[in-house]
Amino acid sequence: MSLSALMPTTSVEIGPRTALHALNRLGFGPSPGDIHQVLSKGLQRYIEEQLEPTPDPEVQQRLQGLRTLGYPIAQVLTLYRTDPGLIGPVVDEFNTAKVIRAVHSRNQLEEVLADFWFNHFNVNLNENFVRYSIMAYERDAIRPHVLGRFRDLLGAVAAHPAMLYYLDNYLSTASRVVNGKLVQGLNENYGRELLELHTVSVDAGYTQEHVFDAARCFTGWGIDNTGTTGGFLYRSGNHDTGAKSVFGLNLPAGGGRDDGEKLLDYLAAHPSTAHFISKKLARRFVADDPPGSLVDKMAGTYLGSGGDIRQVLRTMIGSTEFWAEAFGSGKPRTPSEFTFAALRAADVQVNSARGVSAALSAMGMPLFQCIPPTGYSDRGADWLNPSSQLARMNFALDLTSGGVAGVTVDARAMVRSASGNPEDPRSIASAVNAEIFGKGLSAATMGAIGRLAAGGPVSMAVRGLGLALASPDMQVR
Amino acid sequence: MAWDLSRRVFLKGFGFAAVGVGFSPSSLMVRAAEGAEAGSRVFVHVFLRGGADGLGLVPPVGDPDYAPLRGGIALGRNEVVDLDGFFALHGGLAPLKPLFSDGKLAVVHAVGNYDLSRSHFDAQDFMETGTPANKTTATGWLDRSIAAIPGREVTQAVSFSAQLTRSFLGGEPVLVAQTLATFDLRARNWRPEAGTLVRAMYDADQSDVGRIGQETFAAMDVLMRTPQITAAPLNGAVYPNASVGTSLRQAAQVIRAGLGTRCIFVNVGGAFDTHSTQLLNNQLEFSRLGDALAAFAQDLGPLLDDVVVLVSTEFGRAAFVNGSAGTDHGSAHAALVMGGRIRGGRVYGRWPGLSKSQLYQERDLAVTTDFRDLFAEMARAQLGVDPGALFPGYTPGPGLGIVA
Repeated sequence: MSLSALMPTTSVEIGPRTALHALNRLGFGPSPGDIHQVLSKGLQRYIEEQLEPTPDPEVQQRLQGLRTLGYPIAQVLTLYRTDPGLIGPVVDEFNTAKVIRAVHSRNQLEEVLADFWFNHFNVNLNENFVRYSIMAYERDAIRPHVLGRFRDLLGAVAAHPAMLYYLDNYLSTASRVVNGKLVQGLNENYGRELLELHTVSVDAGYTQEHVFDAARCFTGWGIDNTGTTGGFLYRSGNHDTGAKSVFGLNLPAGGGRDDGEKLLDYLAAHPSTAHFISKKLARRFVADDPPGSLVDKMAGTYLGSGGDIRQVLRTMIGSTEFWAEAFGSGKPRTPSEFTFAALRAADVQVNSARGVSAALSAMGMPLFQCIPPTGYSDRGADWLNPSSQLARMNFALDLTSGGVAGVTVDARAMVRSASGNPEDPRSIASAVNAEIFGKGLSAATMGAIGRLAAGGPVSMAVRGLGLALASPDMQVR
Repeated sequence: MAWDLSRRVFLKGFGFAAVGVGFSPSSLMVRAAEGAEAGSRVFVHVFLRGGADGLGLVPPVGDPDYAPLRGGIALGRNEVVDLDGFFALHGGLAPLKPLFSDGKLAVVHAVGNYDLSRSHFDAQDFMETGTPANKTTATGWLDRSIAAIPGREVTQAVSFSAQLTRSFLGGEPVLVAQTLATFDLRARNWRPEAGTLVRAMYDADQSDVGRIGQETFAAMDVLMRTPQITAAPLNGAVYPNASVGTSLRQAAQVIRAGLGTRCIFVNVGGAFDTHSTQLLNNQLEFSRLGDALAAFAQDLGPLLDDVVVLVSTEFGRAAFVNGSAGTDHGSAHAALVMGGRIRGGRVYGRWPGLSKSQLYQERDLAVTTDFRDLFAEMARAQLGVDPGALFPGYTPGPGLGIVA
């Protein structure tokens, strides 16, 4: 595919700024050397590699020591029954894998999407059974489908024990009459959030009756045993076999597990879902308030391709609106976007998520611990406040001085790898300007780094890189 | 006070166009009815996110329909703290009973939003903007309220939360913080130089990011010269080890420090969304809440006379138990009001009843008090704000008369 085929409607002036834009929007930002590498291999080839990721042996190597990553739910539950204290290390490894992949994977788009889709289908690590199944959830329900078909992703999530537990569907059964008295059996939680948060969205026009019937479609979808095996199990005896009507879909009486599958088919193909998903992707990748023209184009691709996420992203990346942002004022980074970008910019080695995890909590965005099913906001502006800002500044200053646990950093080596002189503040400023900011670093930030005094107990490179990462320039992408 | 043009630019920069949202900037000029007395009062809004169950917080144990509706999760008279023979406090709120008896705690039952949304997000949004069913309102109701108070000090409004809360969204500065005691730059062995240079970078930045950085340093300046911010609680008050306890402990420190703080928001994200195991979750969360409020009152002592605390949530829960020993999303909730000089010791609001025909959509406790009437009373009494123009499209009634 030629560049013009990928970007049919726009001509992009290819240079450091557009390369930086691709690295910042399709990934978590540049490491030293990345901007040059994208330009030398070609922007189009970089984008194609991101859209069609191949296994990354270097990251596989880094993940090798994390032996619980592949554990099925039953195995985690076995550990728990042996000793509840064994679960902490499993969660630590899960967090560490997340940070290693975000920082070190060459398949940056895949990592951004794993983050995006997990957040779209949020579950909270701190809720009982979710704690033992969240690793399997991210690995088996989210990751295989991040560039695939939305219907496959939706189906994998709907039937995953972590989601069945988090939104209480495993408890939901047909209501029964016992001794002439109605015994409530339904739990609406999943049915409501499926419509509101996962598919057509809150303004689509559905009613309370539709929520009720959506929940009825999934009665019987449960978990075989939350203490031992932790697998999906459909119990036909718990299913409400009555007729159902959900937002234009009418299901006759007598259905079984299929009721749920048919509803997922219907919702995944609904124009409101196409629009909602497209807008949410555009909000993450393009702008807090993405242009309607872009969202419409993406939704058109969604409907025309049967909900093919890769195709929707191609439409987005090929748009004028996406590239125009390279010349705008930038989109504020969320705490995790900022943290991963700073780690990549400082060229660190991640050994564990310990310090990163603590920093993200201080910034208000703890890893995998968003309580409500809405997930974290994708709007950068929602994260701008003094508390979070101070935590960001302190993370940057801690990071370059080696104060973030689990992360190895060498500020002098980073400056040298960016062809700068680690003893000369002005040289440090121009090195980070070229390698991390695509030569767009503000005069004020360049000036502040340049004014660092010689001597003192903290090295010039630690201070210079610390200022660069704590700067306002680093808060936007 | 005059509408600040630069604020409009700022609002646009945030993606919330201040113009074209259905009400003109001039209507936002809430008249400051600031008297000498109102000038030192403080309003504290404790917001329980997730839809806290009003029928569990203040159970109507005297209503014959209550126990049958709630089935296995109905609270018995021996598990609750009686208030007036009809209503009771959840057992976890037992530490608040003396305040109720002393007239320092009131309940408002069946309060909520007539334009119901059973979506957590929308219901919170409608409540925090004060404009039900309108998603285009740019500003939060507390931002509009504090805009009417003279001065723009960063400590005038404080939000104990991880994010800027929707209630404060708009042009007024807000100190958002989780921990005030350590609100300083960490730059070991080069703190003075780092302070100067980081500040210089943000001072030069005209964007929203730059403005937030400037507010961060302004807050640092104030907190650094205020040792009371780390003072221990007084009067033997012991706060529970939970976010609501930590936040109210800091709220008391801020109030005592005399930083001109008028409005404090305490964000509580707990296990309130009780679709299952409701008894257990409410016991945990309501105990924390009760302990934290009681400690706050004890800690402040006579200073509580200038303070009013409102505890509310986005919606209550369905009247009947669901299939999982929990309740699904509902309508009206129960609010608590605490303060040294309120007319407490009673349950306000008209009780709508719980029989099938009295329930909203045959499932929820019906709303009989518009939440905006309650909010308006707080803004008027504690912030000295004329609430007439506070809620676009709505003129609040005379209020319930809880706060003098």
